[in-house]
Amino acid sequence: MKLYILKRLVGMVVVVFLVLTIAFVIVRLAPGDPAALMLGPDATPADAAELRARLGLDRPIPVQYLTFIVNALQGDLGQSLFFNRPVLSVLAERVEPTAFLALFSLAISVVIALPLGIFVAYRRGSFLDQSAVSVAMLAASVPSFWTGLVLQRYLATDLGWFPASGYGGPDATFLDRMGYLMLPSIVLGIVNSALILRFTRASMLDVLGEDYIRTARSKGMTEGRVVLRHAMKNAAIPIVTVVGLTFALLVSGAVVTERVFNIPGMGNLVVGAVLRRDYPVIQGTLVVVATLYILINLAVDLLYLVIDKRVRY
Amino acid sequence: MSKPLSLALAFIMGSTALSPVLAEDVVNVAIIGEPDTLDPMVSTKDIVSIVTQHIVETLYTFDENWAVAPLLAKDMPTISADGKVYDIPLRTGITFQDGSSLDSADVVASLERWLKVASRGKTVADKVQSVEANGPDAIRITMSEPYAPLLSLLAFSNSAAAIYPEEIVKDAGDTLPKVVGTGPYEVAEHVPDQYLQLVKFDGFVPREDPASGWAGKRGQVPGEIRFVPVPDPNTRVEGLLSGQFDFADGLPAESYDRIAASDVAEPLLLQPFGWPVWAINHKDGLLTDLKIRQALQAALPFDDMLFAAFGDDKFFKTDGAMYPEGWAYYTDAGTELYNQNDPAKAKALLEEAGYDGTPLRILTSRQYEFHYKMAEVAKQALEAAGFTVQMDVVDWATLGQRRNDPALWDIYITHSPFLPEPALTDMWFPTSRIGWNDPVEVELGKQFTTETDPAKRKEIFAKMQAENYKDVGFIKVGNFNALEGQAKALKGVEPSPWPFFWNASKE
Repeated sequence: MKLYILKRLVGMVVVVFLVLTIAFVIVRLAPGDPAALMLGPDATPADAAELRARLGLDRPIPVQYLTFIVNALQGDLGQSLFFNRPVLSVLAERVEPTAFLALFSLAISVVIALPLGIFVAYRRGSFLDQSAVSVAMLAASVPSFWTGLVLQRYLATDLGWFPASGYGGPDATFLDRMGYLMLPSIVLGIVNSALILRFTRASMLDVLGEDYIRTARSKGMTEGRVVLRHAMKNAAIPIVTVVGLTFALLVSGAVVTERVFNIPGMGNLVVGAVLRRDYPVIQGTLVVVATLYILINLAVDLLYLVIDKRVRY
Repeated sequence: MSKPLSLALAFIMGSTALSPVLAEDVVNVAIIGEPDTLDPMVSTKDIVSIVTQHIVETLYTFDENWAVAPLLAKDMPTISADGKVYDIPLRTGITFQDGSSLDSADVVASLERWLKVASRGKTVADKVQSVEANGPDAIRITMSEPYAPLLSLLAFSNSAAAIYPEEIVKDAGDTLPKVVGTGPYEVAEHVPDQYLQLVKFDGFVPREDPASGWAGKRGQVPGEIRFVPVPDPNTRVEGLLSGQFDFADGLPAESYDRIAASDVAEPLLLQPFGWPVWAINHKDGLLTDLKIRQALQAALPFDDMLFAAFGDDKFFKTDGAMYPEGWAYYTDAGTELYNQNDPAKAKALLEEAGYDGTPLRILTSRQYEFHYKMAEVAKQALEAAGFTVQMDVVDWATLGQRRNDPALWDIYITHSPFLPEPALTDMWFPTSRIGWNDPVEVELGKQFTTETDPAKRKEIFAKMQAENYKDVGFIKVGNFNALEGQAKALKGVEPSPWPFFWNASKE
C-alpha cells in the first residue's frame, strides 16, 4: 500500500505541474489588462503601461513562466496584483468559509440522500420511490443559483430566518459566521443530495437482488439487519465514491453559490480574480484546488480499504 | 458548550438568533465591489472615491450646487490678475490620523506627488510651474499659463489631490506605505472582499460653515461606517430589503418597484446620474472620415437605444445637451443634430463618403448590460442605413485593454457621471484616447481652460458642444438615472454618484 500511495503522490506532482503550466497559459491567453482595470476608466494608456512595467507584466512571457515555476516549486505562488499580498496568504483567508460551506453542504446532502436512497430502494416502485426519484431529478436539473435566489428571497429577505448574504462583520464570532453559511449550505445540500440519492438507490437496488441477501433473509434475519448490515456494506463503495467526488467539487469552490450569497470563499475569490485579471491569484487558486481534488480522491481510494477488506493496492 | 455542540445548535436552531442586529450607531453600506486601493490619488474609480472621501481630504471640494468650496483650505484662493498665481490659505489646528499636524509642507509634498502619479494631476502638470509653501499656513501654486479647471481638479475626489503627511508621501511614488488622512473617519479594520470598518477619528476638526454637498460641516454622526463589497446587484437588493444594509449602491432598475413596496427600505433615484457615451476613434479606421461620422450620427435612434437600455422612462431622458437642464453648463447649442434617426440622410452621407462596406467595429461589454442593449438597437438602425456593423462584445477587462489600441475599434461604449467641470472629461481634448483633433475644437478647448470668467466659459462651452455635434467628436446617447436604496430609518444621505455618510443617522 505504501508503494501505491507513493505512486499516487508522484502522479500528483506531475498533475500539479501540468496544472501550473496550463493555468499560466490560460490566464495569459485571455485578453484584458490588469493595470488598466486597477487604475480605473479615466487612466491614460501611458499610466497603464507604467503600472504594467511596475507589476512585471511587460517582461517576456517565457521569463514570467520560468519565474512562476521556480517560485512555485519553492512554495511561493506569487503576489496578488489586486491585494498586493502573497497569493498563499490571500488563499488562506478563503479556506475557512469554503471548507465549512463544503462540510455543511455535504452533511445536509448525506442526511437527506442516504436514508432516503436506502428506503426508496427497499420500497422499489412505491409512490415514495417514484416521488423521490422525480424530486431528485428536479433538484439536480435546477441550477443552484436559481435555488439560491429563491431561498434567499423568501427565507432570508421575507421571513428573516437567515442572513441574506455575507460572512459577518467585525464583531461576528465563529458561530455567527457559521450562521451565515446555513442558507447557502442548504442550497448546495439540496442540489447535491440528488446525485447521492440516485447513486445510493441504484447501488442498493443492485445489492438487494443478490443471492446473499436472499440467504440472509432465509436465515431469519430482521429486515433492518439485512438492509443495514449486509446490503449497505456491499453498496457502500459507489456511494463513498460519489460522496467523495461531491465533497471535492464543493471544496473546489461553490462558485455560483458563494457569489449569490457573497461568501468570501475560494469560489468568490477566483471569480473576482478573473474579472480583475489577477493572474497570480487565478493560477494559485487553480493549483491549490487541483491539489485538494487529488488528495480527496486519494483519501476516498484509501477509504475503500476500510470498507471492503477484499480491496488490495 | 463544546464547539461541535454549538455548531450543531447553530445549524438546528437556524439563524434567527444570528441574524445581524444592527447597532443604531453603525451604518452598513453595500458597495459594488472591493476598492482597489485606499489611496484615491492613484485611482479614477468611483468606488475608491466613495470609500476614501471619508478618510482623506482635499484642499477644495464641491458644495450642493457643484461650486468649488474650501475644505482643508481656509478659504477660496486669491488669484493674481493674470490668472497664473494661486495663493491658498490653509486651515490651522488640523491633525492627521497619525497625530501629526497639517502644515504647508504636507500640502506641497502631496500636490507634488499628485502631479506625478495621479491621472488627473498629470493632465495639468505641464502647466504648473511650481508649488511652494508660503509660510506654514499657506501655499502658492504658480502656473505657466492660466488654467481655469485647476480648482475643480483640486476638489475632485476621483484621482484626488488628497493631502497626506509629508513624511508618508515624500518618497512614496505610486504606492503609499499607509493611508493617513485628515478625514472624519479612519480605518479600524479592513478584510478584503468582506468589509472595511471605519470609525470616528477623534482628532477630526470639522469646518464650522453649514453642510452643503461635500462642503461645510462634516458631522461625524455615525460612530462607525462599514462598507461591505457585494458584487452581485441582486444580493445588494436582498441585503437592503432584509435590513442587513442601511444603504445599497448601484441597484438594478428592475428592483425599483420592489424596493418602493418594501416596509423597511426605499428607493433613491439619482436623477440624472450620467450619460452613456460612444467614444469615436479619430486616430485610425473608418470614422476618421467626417462624412461617415455624420452618417453615424444621423442614423442613430437615441430614444430607442435609451428605451432598450433602461426600459422605463423613470430611468432615462432623451437629451442631447451635454449637461442637464439646471446645471451651469446646460446649453442646447447644436442639439438639432441629436436624435435625427434619419436613415435616408445617413445613406446619402455614406454614398457621398464612398463607403465600401468596411465593417464598423463597435467594441462593447455586457458588464454594463445597458451598453450592450443600446448597441444592439443601434446595430439594426445602422444596418438599415447601409453600414456593415461588427459587434465586438468582450468583458470589461478586455475592452479596457483593446481601447488602448486604435487599430482594434471604431467605437467603444462607456459612460460617465455628470462631472461638475467639463474639462474633467478628457474627450474634449486632443490628448485623450479617442484623439479628437479638430482644429476648431482644439482652439475652443484652449480658450475654455484659460478663461477664468464663468460667464465667458459658459459661452465657450456652448460653442464646444455645437462643434461636437458638427464634427461628431464623441456621441452622447442621453441622460440616465441611477438607483440606490436606503433603509427607511436612515436619514441625512443624499443620492449621489459618490454618496457620503458622515452626516447620516438612524431613527
